[in-house]
Amino acid sequence: MENIEEGKGRKILINGSRQVYAAPGISLLQALKENDIFLSSACGGHGICGLCRVHVPEGADSAFTPAELAHLSPAEQQDNIRLACQVKLSRDLRISIPEKFFHIREYRAVVSSVRSLTGSIREVVLELVKPETINFKSGQYIQLRIPPYPGKRRMVYRAYSIASAPSDGRHVELEIGYARNGLATTFIFEHLKTGQVMSFNGPHGDFRLSDGGRDMVMIAGGSGLAPMKSMLCDMRDRNITRKVRLFFGARSPAEIFHADLMASLERTLPDFKFIPTVAAKNPEEKWKGEIGLVTGVLDRRLEDNFNGEAYLCGSPAMIEACLEILRRKKIPEERIFYDKFA
Amino acid sequence: MTNSHDNDQMRPAVITCDGFLGTDDRPVEEIIRADDGTVKKIGLTHRAIAERMEYFSREAKKGLGEFVRLEPHFEAACEMARGFLSCPFGEPGKHRKAVVTLRNLRQKKEVIFSGLNVHLIAEHGFYEGKGSCFRLDPEELAKVLEIGG
Repeated sequence: MENIEEGKGRKILINGSRQVYAAPGISLLQALKENDIFLSSACGGHGICGLCRVHVPEGADSAFTPAELAHLSPAEQQDNIRLACQVKLSRDLRISIPEKFFHIREYRAVVSSVRSLTGSIREVVLELVKPETINFKSGQYIQLRIPPYPGKRRMVYRAYSIASAPSDGRHVELEIGYARNGLATTFIFEHLKTGQVMSFNGPHGDFRLSDGGRDMVMIAGGSGLAPMKSMLCDMRDRNITRKVRLFFGARSPAEIFHADLMASLERTLPDFKFIPTVAAKNPEEKWKGEIGLVTGVLDRRLEDNFNGEAYLCGSPAMIEACLEILRRKKIPEERIFYDKFA
Repeated sequence: MTNSHDNDQMRPAVITCDGFLGTDDRPVEEIIRADDGTVKKIGLTHRAIAERMEYFSREAKKGLGEFVRLEPHFEAACEMARGFLSCPFGEPGKHRKAVVTLRNLRQKKEVIFSGLNVHLIAEHGFYEGKGSCFRLDPEELAKVLEIGG
């Protein structure tokens, strides 16, 4: 990727102090990416996720695109907030973005292992090549670049939570659930091989282990276990002794993964309990744990006015159902955390 | 109903892995016209079909991925993945990655549709091209949904 020098492209003045250049006609999101500035974007620049918000006080076309109108409130539009993927570089721009985006980097990595955790969830371990290490907070996510593959000519980016602990900055572990006809998951389930070179940018996101000392309840479904695993391993590595209850919903006993790791964490962390629940079990399956939806178990086992923090990760339906329960139990919104990209 | 579209958005690997046209080499307008004829022939509207699908989607979501029994003789499950899809007709907005499996237990038949399918039928009368992963034959769909004559 080639940076455009002064005089050969459009100038983007960032936060009044830093200026970069990019070719006219491309999107602001792409222009920033070409200058190693990575805004959060879970959809890869298609105007779908609405995450790449940026303040553009000067230089953008006045007309908002339909995608922007769908994501931005009238107040945001009035404030010149735009979606970077929708703003084309036709003139020089003045923009402001949070400083945190300057810390996001692009990484090259080798796939050191790919394995199935369940029938529909794969674990992918990436060993970083350049830069060799990454610094992130447990709970954050990366944007994995999915290269073109046979029959699919376009590259896309997809957001995945990091499952590994921040203490191991040389590796990034992902747990990826299969999505029917999914562009990225088809690649990961059918084409991704050990030894393959991949790239990603990150870390992104404000979903992370808080610095407070409150008790914690975690609720996860399927591949939503990934950031919880990262947080629990982080707690282990940093000797954080907070009380944690992790409710994990799976379809059947066979769909529960990382059970050994969770048992080990129960022994290591001073007050941690892993509470898996299965929606159904076959008569021949030995299962002595909870049966039913994770929301039902949460509702029954979490006390009203719980004074701690809640961390959620799973399908949007699970998150919505959990939010309803937590609100009913009068857990304040500011103590409920989940990934907005869900 | 807006049916202007960018053909590129219909192709594989743009919005979805396999795109929206499958092996169908007819123009999108022709696919829509043919299905519209079928829907009229069976005395229905696209919106009525979509509303019935939306009802099953809404109920299925309550099962968090598990099958939910729905009277009198249906069961439905909804698998949701994180992230969103856009409309290939360029309409603003985003659609959850939700896939519903609906079983009509009396007929012993099953249909699988996405949240985007519901939108495409309601707003564009588009049931996707033949051979597409999420192609729905309107007449077969109406039968399984038990709607109309």
